[in-house]
Amino acid sequence: MTTESEAAFLARKAAKRAGRRGMVEEKAILGMTSLMDAITIIVVYLLKSYGSDPVLIAPTQGQKVPLSQADTPIQDGTPIYVSERAITFMEKRVVQMDETGQVDPAALQGHLIGPLYDLLAEEADKAKQMAEGKGEEWEGRVILVGDQTLKFSVLVDVMYTAGRAEFREYAFAVVQQSG
Amino acid sequence: MARKKFEEEEIETNLLPVMNVMLLLIPALLLAMEIARMAAIAVSPPKFAATADEKKDEKQEKPLNLKVFIMEDGYRVSASGQQAGAEAGKAADSNAPTIPLAKPGTALDDFDRYDYATLSTEARKYKDLFPHETVVTISAENSIPMQALINTMDAMRGLDCKMMAAMTGEEEVPQECMFWQAIVEAGAG
Repeated sequence: MTTESEAAFLARKAAKRAGRRGMVEEKAILGMTSLMDAITIIVVYLLKSYGSDPVLIAPTQGQKVPLSQADTPIQDGTPIYVSERAITFMEKRVVQMDETGQVDPAALQGHLIGPLYDLLAEEADKAKQMAEGKGEEWEGRVILVGDQTLKFSVLVDVMYTAGRAEFREYAFAVVQQSG
Repeated sequence: MARKKFEEEEIETNLLPVMNVMLLLIPALLLAMEIARMAAIAVSPPKFAATADEKKDEKQEKPLNLKVFIMEDGYRVSASGQQAGAEAGKAADSNAPTIPLAKPGTALDDFDRYDYATLSTEARKYKDLFPHETVVTISAENSIPMQALINTMDAMRGLDCKMMAAMTGEEEVPQECMFWQAIVEAGAG
């Protein structure tokens, strides 16, 4: 920049500053309405997506739910989380798995997983009473939230135990694969 | 005495507390919502399968009794008690798989090791012969991972099968859907 244009620029700047000196500063008002509109739309959308499924499936830490092309929505039921580390029911670790990914032999009687059976039977009784109170029939559906690497033998043990606790319907929770 | 002219003041609504609540709700809901879209595959235990088959016996002369056994070295498919590819009348020709692995020698946790496309083609052949049959019994060796089981169910159901509309009662089960009622059986072969 040449010294002449620089001087002209500084002069214009000084003139502007002098003009502002006499001005009363206006109080800026923050326009909240448009922001409120946007946020309301986001909250309503999130609330809708939150409430669309009858059961909220929240896999346990490190659990990889199997992928599938199935598109059938999850129906209401009792979820059992079965990972390679443990069986979790009602946010409680019921049974630990051994290092080979099998159910701890101490908890197993044949195919029956003792501690899981106790909790499932209790839950089945409660659910039946609730259904009776509402005048509905208890569906007895259990949702097995497994792991991709979960062994078939463990899956069979869990299904057998749920069956013994009077659960009649089974569903595998999967992550819907696109395409 | 003359009344003073009363001027109505415009009161601005203080939206800040509402905004605060809304802004707290957004991360809370984002954390609670599911990132991946979940679905369910309904399965039946063998006990109920027997009842279903008995009912079908009345309508159909010869039930298909389609069974898929997932082994570490492939699939063994059998129908009406006879293994696919076996000589007529023989229950099973050998312990060799009917559909060998697509990727032999790979680890069990490589879920693409099975030949799902061939299994689906095989299922289509059975479906063409028994168009009303929808039940398949699936069993596996103890070490088979759940993902392989789910992929097998997908292949038997049909890779292009979409059941959503049929489940809600809007439409009938599409033609692409083959054996969508899976029975999971332990130790069957």
